[in-house]
Amino acid sequence: MRNSRLQIGTTVLVVGALALAACGGGGDDAAAGGEGDTLRLWHFESDTSAMGIAWEEAIATFEEETGATVEFEERSFEQIRTTASQVLNSDEAPDILEYNKGNATAGLLASQGLLSPLDDAVEEYGWDSQLAPALQTTARYDESGIMGSGSWYGVPNYGEFVEFYYNEDMFAEYGVEVPTSTEELEVAMQTFADAGVTPLAEAASEYPLGQLWYQLALSKADREWVDSYQLYADDVDFTGEQISYATETVKAWSDAGYISSDATGLAAEDAGVAFIDGEYPMFYSGSWWHNRFTTEIEGFEFGTFLYPGAEMSPGSAGNMWVIPVEARNPELAAQFIDITMRPEIQALIGNNGGVPVAADPADIEDEKSQELIENFNTLNERDGLAFYPDWPTATFYDDLNAGLQELLNGTLTPAEVNEQLGQQYADGVADITG
Amino acid sequence: MPGQRRHTYWVYLVPGLALLTLVVLVPLVWNVYLTFTSYRGIRPPEFVGLDNWVELAGDTVFWTSFRNSVAMVVAMVVVPTGLGLVLAAMLFDLVGKKFGGRVASFLRATYYLPQILPGVIAAIVIGWILRPQNGALNTVLGAVGLDALQANWLGDPRTALPSIMVVLVWVQIGYPVVIFMAALQRVDPELYEAAELDGAGWFQRFRAITVSIIRPEIFVVVLTCAIAALKVFGPVYALTGGGPGTSTIVPAYYAYSEFFQSQQVGYGATIATALTVVIAVLAVAFVLVQARLERAEEQGR
Repeated sequence: MRNSRLQIGTTVLVVGALALAACGGGGDDAAAGGEGDTLRLWHFESDTSAMGIAWEEAIATFEEETGATVEFEERSFEQIRTTASQVLNSDEAPDILEYNKGNATAGLLASQGLLSPLDDAVEEYGWDSQLAPALQTTARYDESGIMGSGSWYGVPNYGEFVEFYYNEDMFAEYGVEVPTSTEELEVAMQTFADAGVTPLAEAASEYPLGQLWYQLALSKADREWVDSYQLYADDVDFTGEQISYATETVKAWSDAGYISSDATGLAAEDAGVAFIDGEYPMFYSGSWWHNRFTTEIEGFEFGTFLYPGAEMSPGSAGNMWVIPVEARNPELAAQFIDITMRPEIQALIGNNGGVPVAADPADIEDEKSQELIENFNTLNERDGLAFYPDWPTATFYDDLNAGLQELLNGTLTPAEVNEQLGQQYADGVADITG
Repeated sequence: MPGQRRHTYWVYLVPGLALLTLVVLVPLVWNVYLTFTSYRGIRPPEFVGLDNWVELAGDTVFWTSFRNSVAMVVAMVVVPTGLGLVLAAMLFDLVGKKFGGRVASFLRATYYLPQILPGVIAAIVIGWILRPQNGALNTVLGAVGLDALQANWLGDPRTALPSIMVVLVWVQIGYPVVIFMAALQRVDPELYEAAELDGAGWFQRFRAITVSIIRPEIFVVVLTCAIAALKVFGPVYALTGGGPGTSTIVPAYYAYSEFFQSQQVGYGATIATALTVVIAVLAVAFVLVQARLERAEEQGR
């Protein structure tokens, strides 16, 4: 950011915060007039997304059952991400909002005292019995804002995970079967590479390659390693088996032509669109692509499979409902959360391309959605959601992308990448844990 | 009375001073204060002395970002000012005379066009053009048989920084051209005619008349462009995010990422303050040099 812009931005924030603080007491006459039965709600889902559709229905149900009015404000994800700490620190805070999970986001706000602990509401409504253990991890934060233990600060009611999407027509054309082990996956990719087709749609300037890197590490890891990596339960050895295998395999796959070195100049959107256009037979990325592939892919059938031969996969509970400390109607907010957990709302998520947290596949009508939810449930049943590679530190998303770009470009060797990432990881964890 | 008049004069400065204090001085002082704190933007800042500055001194990413700033100065100051001088002189002295003022004005507007495009939108479109796969540039190169020149323009550390530099030259070139052409209106055409009659060639007229007379404008352009180059952010944000690796990172982007991505506000403020110091020193140095040259010129007359 330009320095002057930075200063102006800071000023705007400071002046804005002062203005909000100054006028907050009597500034919102509408809310003040009917404070007792108004729920001010923010979320960032689009109208047509699975969650947007489900939340709309939940709002209608809530208004009908409680007689309260919902004042909904649509905010963009970026708006909420960048201004939440300022707004939640003022009395302009909404009663409930959808917020990003993880140490650097919800954890940070929780540790700074901006989010209400929800332990009493969780006990009252029994949400803990509806959420699998791995899904609860991102809902709880300790005093330092580290997820996995401590009080509940949010309630997730949809999930997400990373899987392979594949082009069934290209698989048939080249005589490739859906692989069931890493060896078979490599054989499949070699078949495509031999035919002059790059098998994996990838992007290294954004998240997809980082998720593949993490998946490769997960294929050699257990839950204990994940807890060390994500929850700082123990030191993580960046020269150990898991990360060495991940980095060296990415390099080897790049050298073998399974991943194009062009990926360094490509964004996630480029990789996803290239898969939609039928340019690559495989794309390894998140469940958030599923609905888009269902609606946009023409000319071929696509299928999905979990990373073969691994028990765990990147994934987690989705973003979650949080209640700010400054909320005026926390009880109404809790009632709303409870409505979003009901089977009919959960089924709406599932039938519109989302991943409900406790879905029965029998409730889902669409075949592709069934496959998606079955994959998620399979992972959940084996406690296989391993979160995302960039969660441990605030900067690791950029650090990992930068490191993998240098790996593909050949400016750093795998050992150098591991050393650099290890240092950045350690520095970032030290920042968080003090 | 004279004293009273001076008193009244100050009253007119109050609104400006108040605005300056609110919009510039207070944030600046606050920013400098934050450099001595550990601050995540929520709870009150915690005083940590010189820790941030010590960390900054040993931060290789920070020094890389300043090295990249030198490239930005080349792309936004050296090349556009040099090219802008030649283009302005040619438009004024050659094109304007041979093809008329309208053609010269049209070309001037063409050069200026990138300046009025919203920077981030231009950067996104350029990002599409430079994409390694299906990008317009690589497609054109392939179509004319120059496959060997195709590259992963923004994804390869060897080409990413030069690519951004070329984009910045394109964005920046119109600014000096317009300023210099306006400045050339001050030049008496008889000077050129006299020089021409004396047998001076185009380059001699350019050096002795054009450059000499519009020197104040050259200083303004160099100073403003140098400041813009040091604080460049938009193209880096939209095109490469500082990558691949840290090959295109610049101080303003690094400060932004520390502020808003890492929420290490104290450290981000330290980077921003370091940048402010560099810009302030540069600006003062420029003004002093310009004043000295003007004095020397006046004494020489």
